Amino acid sequence: MKDIFTGLFSKVFGFFRQTEQVEENAKDTAVNRLRVVLMQDRTNLTPELLEKMRGELIELLSKYVEMDKEALELNFEQEGNQMALMLSIPVLRAKDEDEIEDAEDEENEVCEDESSEENDSEEALDEENNENSEEQEENPSDAENESNTNTKHSKSK
Amino acid sequence: MSGRVIVITSGKGGVGKTTTNANIGTALARAGKKVVMIDTDLGLRNLDLLLGLENRIVYTIVDVVEERCKLKQALVKDKKNPNLCLLAAAQTRDKTAVTEEQLKNICEELQKDFDFILVDCPAGIEQGFQNAVAGATEAIVVTTPEMSAVRDADRIIGLLEAKEEIKSYKLLLNRVRPNLIKSNDMMSVEDVVEILSAELIGIIPEDTGIITSTNKGDPIVNDENALAGQAYNNVAKRIIGEDVPFLNLEEDTGVLAKVKKFFSKMIGKEN
Repeated sequence: MKDIFTGLFSKVFGFFRQTEQVEENAKDTAVNRLRVVLMQDRTNLTPELLEKMRGELIELLSKYVEMDKEALELNFEQEGNQMALMLSIPVLRAKDEDEIEDAEDEENEVCEDESSEENDSEEALDEENNENSEEQEENPSDAENESNTNTKHSKSK
Repeated sequence: MSGRVIVITSGKGGVGKTTTNANIGTALARAGKKVVMIDTDLGLRNLDLLLGLENRIVYTIVDVVEERCKLKQALVKDKKNPNLCLLAAAQTRDKTAVTEEQLKNICEELQKDFDFILVDCPAGIEQGFQNAVAGATEAIVVTTPEMSAVRDADRIIGLLEAKEEIKSYKLLLNRVRPNLIKSNDMMSVEDVVEILSAELIGIIPEDTGIITSTNKGDPIVNDENALAGQAYNNVAKRIIGEDVPFLNLEEDTGVLAKVKKFFSKMIGKEN
């Protein structure tokens, strides 16, 4: 009896739904939600961890290249049975050897002088990067927001 | 003779493991294979009901491992098909009554006399699952085009891949509703296969006939007109190694189409 009613309901509901234009259908929503949740299940990698990894990768890579940090993408992709971590880095320009050496020197100084670590790191990294890393370390709520947008991003893919 | 041991599993409950087991087992037996089904869902046995054998069970798998009877004594013969046997689960005991090792031994023993040993796995990923998988070298993962079932199937596939003994696993997509897929309300077969990236062994359409066949204790493969029955028969053929194309579920399954089909069959017979 219940089945008949729910069946009828979904038919009527489905009829009205078909008449109006819906942006994303139930099937696509299911597929996209599943993709995201399975990536997390399979890897045990939460959105928070993924965001942390993103932050650290930016820090490491910006020693060698100048990049568009906003456009950097870090996502999981499935190719057959193989899961791949895809990192897409829009490179603005590669840094020359002197710059890399400078960065390394400053890094070493940071390690030596632990008491004024924060000040040193501010000098060591360029402004953009500094903003980014501060967000990561000092505002966990911000990091969470970012990770949310990241999830949405991978959904839309 | 060394029979193939196939575990039928799903993770999520209620997706049709036991129905699949009863139907594939019956279909294989109808194809002339010697088949034994083992119900490992201790405490929640149902395979006997689907086969209509509930009144014939004298001994269960627990009686076998606790040596109250011989293995052969505990095998219940199917009413219709002498090629088909059931080793029932105990209804009054829990999952700890049989160990992985014991199940493995039972499977090894049965391999000598049967072509196929189908192990009906309980829902979940705990000890019951571990037990059921212990003796198997192949697996059929049953799922439906629903998010929770697909997610659980993914978990199960991960666990199966970690098991050295399992040489291959295949996906059986149950309760497919072509109309819902057509209207983009349900994930399609292709969607599920792509997400799980597993090889498909069968697509079973949602069929109200399953309910009546369960009520009667007569698997739907015995009804040659039922679409789900045909689909299960095809699964059995694929297991044996035949190359059978998947049923076209896109075709209209309305009353009119059924009448047409009936008449075209009649004409076909006359010719």
